[in-house]
Amino acid sequence: MIRLRDVHKSYSQGDHDVVACAVDALEIGSGEQVALIGRSGSGKTTLLHILAGILRPDRGEVEVVGARIDQLSEAARDRHRGRHIGLVYQTFNLLQPFTALENVLLGALFGRGAGHRAREHAESLLRKVGLGDRLHHRPNELSVGQVQRVAICRALVNDPELILMDEPLGNQDRATGGVVLDLLLEIAREGKKTVVMVTHDPESASRMQRTVDLASLRTGVASRAGGRA
Amino acid sequence: MRLWSISLRNLRIRLVATVLTTTSIVVATALYAAILVMAEQTEQRYTGAYSAQLAIIGPKDASQLEIVLNTIFNVGEAPALFPLKVAIDIRKGREFGYRGQIRYAIPQARGDSVSRHAFPVIATLDEMFTKFELHQKPLEFAAGHGFAFSFDDLLQLAEGMAAHESARRTGEAVVPPRPQLRPEWKKCVIGARVARTLGLHLGGTIVPVHGKYGEFGTHEHPEAACEITGILAPTNSPLDTTIFLPLGVHLLIDGHEGGVFVTPLVPGKNPDEVKKLPVQADQIGLTAIVLDPKDPVGDQILRNAFMRRPDGQVAKPREVMPKFLRDIGSAADVLTVIAWLVLLVASVSITVAIYNTMNERRREIAIMRSLGARRHQILAIITGEAALLSCFGAVVGVTVCHLAAFLMRETVEDMSGVYLEWLQFGWWELWLVLGVTSIGACAGLLPAVKGSMTQVADNLAHSY
Repeated sequence: MIRLRDVHKSYSQGDHDVVACAVDALEIGSGEQVALIGRSGSGKTTLLHILAGILRPDRGEVEVVGARIDQLSEAARDRHRGRHIGLVYQTFNLLQPFTALENVLLGALFGRGAGHRAREHAESLLRKVGLGDRLHHRPNELSVGQVQRVAICRALVNDPELILMDEPLGNQDRATGGVVLDLLLEIAREGKKTVVMVTHDPESASRMQRTVDLASLRTGVASRAGGRA
Repeated sequence: MRLWSISLRNLRIRLVATVLTTTSIVVATALYAAILVMAEQTEQRYTGAYSAQLAIIGPKDASQLEIVLNTIFNVGEAPALFPLKVAIDIRKGREFGYRGQIRYAIPQARGDSVSRHAFPVIATLDEMFTKFELHQKPLEFAAGHGFAFSFDDLLQLAEGMAAHESARRTGEAVVPPRPQLRPEWKKCVIGARVARTLGLHLGGTIVPVHGKYGEFGTHEHPEAACEITGILAPTNSPLDTTIFLPLGVHLLIDGHEGGVFVTPLVPGKNPDEVKKLPVQADQIGLTAIVLDPKDPVGDQILRNAFMRRPDGQVAKPREVMPKFLRDIGSAADVLTVIAWLVLLVASVSITVAIYNTMNERRREIAIMRSLGARRHQILAIITGEAALLSCFGAVVGVTVCHLAAFLMRETVEDMSGVYLEWLQFGWWELWLVLGVTSIGACAGLLPAVKGSMTQVADNLAHSY
């Protein structure tokens, strides 16, 4: 599902370059649920963006859902992301002017298309996460937990093979967030989807099948076992 | 969900900016459409108001344009008078070879008007309703019929008036009585718009007014009050605003006694001395003769004859009007350029309005890009906003133009003689809407390019 080799990404800052992310090797199999942990500034989000095809590495090989996305054009990476990858951000990144249903449909619009079937699918997803009576509410009319669930539905609407999450619990109430995360992981397990979650929170990481410390990826130690099976 | 629905939503979010920018497009489009509507309908009005073969005889010392505008379109004052002799010569066939070359020659005199709308009063013969044709058809009546006053009546009246006036001028002991205004002549026919505007019906009364309504010296002629015997069917021509009454009424109006005769230039005598000379019947003054040369031969005969005559000239509306309309067209072209400039300014305002939102929309764009939106889709969304805004503004602008035409049609008619058909739409209006939409879309390109270049990772990094 995911295979990285000698991936390197740096940014220019004044006269010198700052290494944002460096990974010697990483492999994640299909259907795995993996937490990527690391201290602040270790390049977790940069790696997530590389996996999503939002950023292109300076060098290295990145294979995601059967495509060498480091070799794809920007438009092809966008298309690949829209069809095969679902993204959930810490801040959920819903668009305020759009209702819950429309936010989910936005994911479909830029993925596999927002036709009648996508609309039915979006509605069924929202009902599944308990938002059947909130379809036409805007994000500012929803609680944080409800917003999180809308974001998860948007990530799932294209039925992607890979779900990438960036600190999905954020600063919110752990109990509420944990329930929603468990729901996502349950749905992912049912659909045999691969889940990669970036977090610095050990409790969140413990919910995943495997935890990968970003710092270890430079030394050749690919991963360490952890969390629940 | 479609890309355009996102564009529409974005416009609704920024409602105030959208309304302001749309207003500028509405103004520009309405202005442009109004210029074209006026130009188009003016041309239709002016070219549809006369038959192709129509000729007008007018005074020698007026321009042909003056003669045509005054006689056909009721514009301005009658430039001067010319003698009845011209009409007699034409109708008797004298000098013109064959009387048969002229289908009709109807004398007219004007000078009075009615109401504050200044509906012109034209004194003429009954032939105006029996022989005159507009586009190969006699004038139709919506109600009633014409009046009775023939050319022979005119000649007989002219003889009587000349005898009376000559005796009065030369100071003869016995002055023949001035002919009396016969009750059967006091009839008139009014145009459709006169009837509609003044609420007149058959049997109503028209009282001619001398001078301009509301000005010092303006006075009514109650002695010449005429009963309405006919109301013309609408022609969408200046005939709709015209009042026709018998020449006899015009000649016998109080105060017209001496003034109805054309005073000739007599060598060796000053004007005061000339005014003491006897007058002839054929010196009765006319402002125009409308006539129909039967064919090109008749037309040429007429032209040749009037090249030699000192007392009149031929004006052909078909020849005069195209040049006049070209001149008007030039003025309309200048206004069109101004309208395009306004449109250009409006499109720049679209660019500025959308461009200024780009910074605050970076996160929104980055989110859409992270969901898989390609750059060209972002470009399409933002360009779509500009196009939708422009299209809406253009449609409203065209609608405003027609509403303005509806509200101002009577004012415009009073000012220019052009009655605006506010429900008359043209294909050019569809092209105008499409053109403005395209211009708007182009105006949205700059901000759209900026939006499509938004860096996704940078703008997602710390967004809340």
